[in-house]
Amino acid sequence: MEEKMLTVYEQMQSRGYSRRDFLRFCSWMGALIGVEATGLARVVHALETKPRVPVVWFHFQECTCCSESFIRSSHPIVADILLDKISLDYTETLQAAAGKQAEEALHATMKKYKGEYLMLCEGSVPTEADGVYCCIAGRTALDIVKEAAEGAKAIVAWGSCASNGCIQGAKPNPTGATPIHKIVTGKPIINVPGCPPIGEVMAGTIVHLLAFDRIPQLDGLGRPKAFYSRRVHDTCYRRPNYDAGLFVESFDDENAKRGYCLYKVGCRGPVTYNACGVMRWNNGVSYPIQSGHGCIGCSEANFWDNGPFYQHLASFPGFGIETTADKIGVAVGAATLAGMAAHAISTNIRKRHEIKKDQNEQDKKGGA
Amino acid sequence: METVSIRRYYVWQLPVRVYHWVNAVCVTVLCVTGYLIGSPLALQSSSEASFGYWFGTVRFVHFVTAFVFFFNFVGRIYWGFAGNSYARWNNFLVFRKSQWREIIEVLKVDILQAKAQPLESIGHNALASLTYFLTFIAFLFQCMTGFGMYAAMSDSWLPQLFAWIVPVMGGDFAVRQWHHMAMWFFIIFSFIHVYLVFYHDYVEGRGVLSSMVGGWKFIEKEKGKN
Amino acid sequence: MANRIVVDPITRIEGHLRIEVEIKDGKIVDAYSSGTMVRGFELILKGRDPRDAWAFTERACGVCTTVHALASVRAVEDALKIKIPPNAELIRNLMFCAQYLQDHVVHFYHLHALDWVDVVSALKADPKKTSEIAQSISNWPNSSPGYFSDLQKRLKTFVDSGQLGIFANGYWGHAAYKLPNEVNLLGVAHYLEALEWQKEIVKVHTIFGGKNPHPNYLVGGVPCSINIEESNAINAERLAMVGRLFEEAKEFVEKVYLPDLVAVAGFYKDWGGIGGGLSNYMAYGDLPVNGYADVAQFKFPRGIILNRDLSTVHPIDGSDAEQIQEFISHSWYTYSDGDEKGKHPWAGETNLNYTGPKPPYDYLNVDQKYSWLKTPRWKGMPMEVGPLSRLLVAYASGREEVKEVVNGALAALNVPVGALFSTLGRTAARGLETKLIALWAKEFYDQLLTNIRNGDTRTANMEKWEPATWPKEAKGVGLTEAPRGALAHWIVVKDQKIDNYQLVVPSTWNASPRDPQGQRSAYEASLIDTPVKDPEQPLEILRTIHSFDPCLACAVH
Ligand code: HEM
Ligand code: HEM
Ligand code: NFV
Ligand code: SF4
Ligand code: SF4
Ligand code: F3S
Ligand SMILES: [Mg+2]
Repeated sequence: MEEKMLTVYEQMQSRGYSRRDFLRFCSWMGALIGVEATGLARVVHALETKPRVPVVWFHFQECTCCSESFIRSSHPIVADILLDKISLDYTETLQAAAGKQAEEALHATMKKYKGEYLMLCEGSVPTEADGVYCCIAGRTALDIVKEAAEGAKAIVAWGSCASNGCIQGAKPNPTGATPIHKIVTGKPIINVPGCPPIGEVMAGTIVHLLAFDRIPQLDGLGRPKAFYSRRVHDTCYRRPNYDAGLFVESFDDENAKRGYCLYKVGCRGPVTYNACGVMRWNNGVSYPIQSGHGCIGCSEANFWDNGPFYQHLASFPGFGIETTADKIGVAVGAATLAGMAAHAISTNIRKRHEIKKDQNEQDKKGGA
Repeated sequence: METVSIRRYYVWQLPVRVYHWVNAVCVTVLCVTGYLIGSPLALQSSSEASFGYWFGTVRFVHFVTAFVFFFNFVGRIYWGFAGNSYARWNNFLVFRKSQWREIIEVLKVDILQAKAQPLESIGHNALASLTYFLTFIAFLFQCMTGFGMYAAMSDSWLPQLFAWIVPVMGGDFAVRQWHHMAMWFFIIFSFIHVYLVFYHDYVEGRGVLSSMVGGWKFIEKEKGKN
Repeated sequence: MANRIVVDPITRIEGHLRIEVEIKDGKIVDAYSSGTMVRGFELILKGRDPRDAWAFTERACGVCTTVHALASVRAVEDALKIKIPPNAELIRNLMFCAQYLQDHVVHFYHLHALDWVDVVSALKADPKKTSEIAQSISNWPNSSPGYFSDLQKRLKTFVDSGQLGIFANGYWGHAAYKLPNEVNLLGVAHYLEALEWQKEIVKVHTIFGGKNPHPNYLVGGVPCSINIEESNAINAERLAMVGRLFEEAKEFVEKVYLPDLVAVAGFYKDWGGIGGGLSNYMAYGDLPVNGYADVAQFKFPRGIILNRDLSTVHPIDGSDAEQIQEFISHSWYTYSDGDEKGKHPWAGETNLNYTGPKPPYDYLNVDQKYSWLKTPRWKGMPMEVGPLSRLLVAYASGREEVKEVVNGALAALNVPVGALFSTLGRTAARGLETKLIALWAKEFYDQLLTNIRNGDTRTANMEKWEPATWPKEAKGVGLTEAPRGALAHWIVVKDQKIDNYQLVVPSTWNASPRDPQGQRSAYEASLIDTPVKDPEQPLEILRTIHSFDPCLACAVH
């Protein structure tokens, strides 16, 4: 019994799901990760024959909202499957065991499934002061990441914390918060940014790994293209208002009540890559823009340092809250114009003087 | 009465002049449309979004102008190798000692308003060369950041050439911020540039102003060595 | 010598908590609670736009997500003297209620239940009997024998696979588990149902705040607009969805959560005498029905109970420099004028300074500094905060609704009032207030509809939005009740920027290290005298600690 791993299909059978349920699940998964109908047979086959993959889920410097988002992943059957299709052997948030027993479970999996387990990381890793800003079981997160990454088959960095440092990495980054990809090298790492990422995006990433047994296509920043290839702006349903130049000027004004574009109250949709506009949140109920607040760019690196969130461009450090490039530009421009005006006046005075002198000389010469 | 004999020099060939005016128009249009993209006008209209497209039009004009601007710029680079000695690329590099001396001279004329001494150069004076060089760098920067952003909205090959710039600069937000700030360089450059052209024309009286139209400059004979 | 036991990590909580206890003769004689992760929020907030602060502080925690955003916008509104429109208050209340409903249910089933429910023994249950029990305590539809036997089969296959996943290495079979096999099976069934259900109620946040976790807030109101003639705003469809979600939540609480709670509690009445700990209880109160300024009308009243004396409720003033202070004599921080004196949050300082043992370590130096949590005190006294404190303060303030549910529960379990001051009391209080919250949500919802019907659709007051309208210097405090207890943010605004920002969080009150006088905070105090049958399997420690629903990311920030 010990060694046997059930396939996803067997798991589902044992959970009372029919073959039809299973096939429906496969096609939903297929749609989620963007395979064509012809590729569906592969998904079905993979889920039928793959054993449950051991997974360890770490928590470092984070707020656990990635875990929370993950359990919001919507289609019921998915939540079931994700609990059973993967074997979640370590996750501080949900596991029954604590302390010593929890650590034993972790080490048992790392040993038994060396090279086979998936390592999921939530949170950044502090590197200042030798890593004392995050310790678990008396060891630093830095230490734990390095050890666990050794035997991991692949690593998923959940959320902005693990993929770009997120809030604790914002200036002045007091603890030296560092994303996983800057600590671990030589392992496939998938960044799934967002604060948090959409639950279905998280589930979809895992399913991709399991169903195809390979890393999804990633962009230049290590993000799965399936979810991060479009700007929020490009899939935003308020886009026609943007193109028509219909903007909300202030929260709850007439234009806000009509659902105009939120660009002028700081929307970061035009510079943010995420699936919010298409997938929306919590099973398609809404997303920030649909509920009246601009995107704050939560899936982009450094988004915390691009504030204030309610203006289109960032303020300049060292100036007031509302000092943007435009204010500075206007000031410099005005100073230039003023300088030119002064310059022109003095030039004219001199030139006139010279002309007069020339004239006088000529007059003198002519008189002589 | 002292007489000075003036000689006509054909300085700005037609391609340079065409380049110049196309560029001047493009930059003006890009600054205006770019500024609007950054801070759109308040349009309190209750009409349906599908009736209007003014902001889309502003962006469209910005992008079309951007392409014209880019290829015009490429053309000027080509002319830097094919054109006459005044148009050559090496005019814009100030390496010679005499050029630095000239920069100081020009600064004296421009800022301290010393009496104009006829200058050595017939093409650009050395200070102008230096600022044009910076301007060309800024053109390049603006094209790279602009097309880098544009790559997200277009599959065509040209913007895609610059797609890499976005991750390198730390994301779209940073690129936009820089692209926006660079606009102010152009605005301020244009102010000063246009003013100085008129100023030099006025104090030197050598026809600088019209040279970009007809191509001719008028220089005292014995000074004109170039 | 006493035997030192370390539990690190404490799991099924939020964040990184380490508990060290001394055990003598099968009982805990001393306890130390340590938060082992810090991020430095209070340092990061300096110099930022006060209007952005809600987004930063909300990220303190994704479990009690939104409560920090609420405390933050209130702190800023207090500093800038902004009064929000009634609808904004109602929408904030509805989001508050949704948060409680989700957070408390998830705590009971997914974070706490496995302390009482033995999953493995559920395999031996008779599904028919489980069905009988289920039907006797509630008319929740999922209760047929077939339903439970299917579930049992699934569970068996799962256990047989040899990969126990999250259930691996639990203390299964521990002598302290007392539920009959049949009730264990019921618990497992509802564990899974609750996991499905919890993602529904949070849609209230998605509707008003655009997403969950971490919905959007706004200084001056709420970001969503109401326009019943528009598909782009809160309209009849959106409101109907909110109404339905709360109805379903109420049903789940009344038909699943509360019956389970009573059923389980009935087998663990001895825990009504364990884990009481402190005798002071504090609540800031919340759920305004007539604006945030009218504290007397809050659904949860504000006040303090000292020495378990329910006859007097003492007032709290968040801006009084002598009342709430934070100490760091046992925390890894320094104060510029010495580490022994407390600081009111407006004058608060956050200077990280680790002096603990070099990792990897086996034990902390508990006689020195040993935690990243600061130690908050009210007039120098430790306070317990949380659902129990809220109910006690409401009970002592004579709130009839509250008295009714509390007395009802005491009668149902046949235990005296004193049983409230315990591990069981905390867990029960959480369930009871959830029931109240489900009722109140309906009131807020109806009020919102009434306002809209009467033509009031305002959701934000933007008069003081522009920084140019702000005073050169301003101070504010925002008080709220987070699911885990009294939460407040203090802000100092100077030249349009944040000059100082301090969060004093419920889990900071409860989980903090001792103060300079050696007084223990709630976690440490509540562990004293707790029996531990097997120090190798300290299930009892988990029970009491989990009864607080720890959140360490919140506590340290
Ligand atoms: C002198 C040259 C240019 C100037 C002064 C200029 C100025 C601007 C400004 C001020 C913005 C608004 C930025 C903001 O605040 O969001 C902008 C946007 C933009 N510019 Fe330019 N630009 C120039 C050239 C170009 C070029 C060569 C391209 C190439 C395609 C380009 C592409 C863009 C794009 C893609 C945007 C973003 C528009 C959007 O997302 O709606 N620009 N530009
Ligand atoms: C009324 C407007 C303008 C006038 C009268 C004008 C005139 C001139 C003149 C006379 C020159 C030659 C200067 C010399 O001998 O050194 C020149 C060169 C130049 N101007 Fe303008 N200009 C105008 C607007 C602009 C604008 C808006 C730009 C764009 C930023 C611009 C960019 C340049 C550049 C890059 C050169 C160097 C040309 C080369 O050698 O390729 N000009 N301009
Ligand atoms: N402690 C705490 Fe929280 C709560 N409830 C917040 O204020 O959990 Ni994350
Ligand atoms: S990325 Fe955001 S949501 Fe995820 S743990 Fe970090 S702060 Fe929380
Ligand atoms: S609301 Fe934001 S994302 Fe949507 S169109 Fe406007 S700017 Fe773009
Ligand atoms: S703030 Fe985040 S949730 Fe989506 S709309 Fe923007 S990326
Ligand atoms: Mg604090």
